[in-house]
Amino acid sequence: MTIFLLLVCAGCSSMGVQPWEREILAREDMQLTTDPLEAATDDHIYFSKEASSGGRGFGGGGCGCN
Amino acid sequence: MDSVAAAVGVTDMTTSRKRPERSVSATLAAATCALLGTTAAAPVDAREEPKWDFNTSLLYYGEDDDRVQDASFKSMVRRLFADDRSLSLGLTVDALTGATPSGAIRQDGVQTFTRPSGSSAYSVPAGELPLDDTFRDTRVAITAGWQQPAGEKGLINIGLSASSEYDYLHTGLNASYAHDFNNRNTTVSAGFAFASDSIEPVGGAPIPLTNMLNVGDTSNRLGDQDKDVFDVVLGVSQVISKNLLVQANYSLSQSDGYLNNPYKVLSLVDGVTGDTLPWIPGPEGGPSGQFLFESRPDERTQHSIYTQAKYYVNGKVLDASYRFMTDDWEIDSHTLDLRYRWPLGASSYLEPHLRYYTQSEAEFYRLSIDSSAAMPQFASSDYRLGNFDAITAGLKFGWKTRNDHDMSLRVEWYTQSGTVPGEQLIGSQASRDNYPDLNALIVQFSYRFSR
Repeated sequence: MTIFLLLVCAGCSSMGVQPWEREILAREDMQLTTDPLEAATDDHIYFSKEASSGGRGFGGGGCGCN
Repeated sequence: MDSVAAAVGVTDMTTSRKRPERSVSATLAAATCALLGTTAAAPVDAREEPKWDFNTSLLYYGEDDDRVQDASFKSMVRRLFADDRSLSLGLTVDALTGATPSGAIRQDGVQTFTRPSGSSAYSVPAGELPLDDTFRDTRVAITAGWQQPAGEKGLINIGLSASSEYDYLHTGLNASYAHDFNNRNTTVSAGFAFASDSIEPVGGAPIPLTNMLNVGDTSNRLGDQDKDVFDVVLGVSQVISKNLLVQANYSLSQSDGYLNNPYKVLSLVDGVTGDTLPWIPGPEGGPSGQFLFESRPDERTQHSIYTQAKYYVNGKVLDASYRFMTDDWEIDSHTLDLRYRWPLGASSYLEPHLRYYTQSEAEFYRLSIDSSAAMPQFASSDYRLGNFDAITAGLKFGWKTRNDHDMSLRVEWYTQSGTVPGEQLIGSQASRDNYPDLNALIVQFSYRFSR
């Protein structure tokens, strides 16, 4: 069991890139949220029209639209 | 590698002029900085030149059949200070008009309803879906957020939010902490948000499951109501390779208090024919049938899992996400979202967007209330608590102006189509179109620049 956990941890730490390999990851279009206003707009629309909200971040809301 | 070569070349020229004897070590230092993605001068510049980031958008959201129309202005200003600290301030103004389904079922004859204010009545033509056309509101929302590093690898965010509508007031606060591990390839985050909202329905909040009354009769109305929402989000993001980044979040959302929609009703129907039981209005006017105000539980707990991947290949970026949500109202939902950013030359792009959403109905969702059966404790015919699928299909075009400002325009279509479970249909209801399908157009123009 211990060996298994050590192997899993070693797997995690070997994943990823070195600091000088981040050129693509640093691109604006590779950020998890590329357009915060558009994401906020979508969260608000879907909060108002569907029974689910949030996921990406907090549940949104703060309006009487639901 | 081009940028490394250029950085080395520039440093070579400047150092060789001043201190030729140190050019080799200076060149190596500059090359190291370039490899690390930094330059020797950059941190100094960041300290001395705070920056501003302006982000503004105009949105039109319009549903067909004269239902909800929203014109919205959003703006977010971010002030960047030294040492990666920043302050963000946001403003949203929404102007809403249009009609929204009242929750009552279609009937073969004209139907009359008392307006939520209780001051007058309105009629719906025979066979048509009852829409309440008194929906008109202006919403103003503000947000403020502060971000700062905590040590070498931590990042703290705290925020405040408030919004005001004619019948609703929201105040909230949130905080989160993110920590980088494993050469910044793994980020673990935890955050919470708390909201305290007060609801002041037009005409007062109705007592659940009581009848819509005659014009001027407010005897079943209560005072203002409130609700609290507590959210927790735990997340991890992981760099997999030079061009693949993934994220997974777990969220818990707990709502307590007044969770009804104070304007929604259900038709009280005959247990055999399925038609709405009549109500005899007084001389002052009133409803034509028996319409009961909805009743939802005063607690709701939602759990969701959200996963997202960003994948870069040959200049194009795929953004894919999936969310599963389940709650103790017995609603389950699945959301799949795909965006593909396709560059057109060096300064513009096209981004198709496809989103699929599906949800099951709440345990207490019902089309109408059967007068021959026992009165349920909870009931709502709000279509948003029903069983439906939704699709969003859209296209965004983004471009950079000559002075490096970002602009984008997106056009999207959103469509919902639902079904009422067959076992809920009584008599004539089986032959009617019961679910208020929705079609909406979304147009958003965004403008962003830094200085």
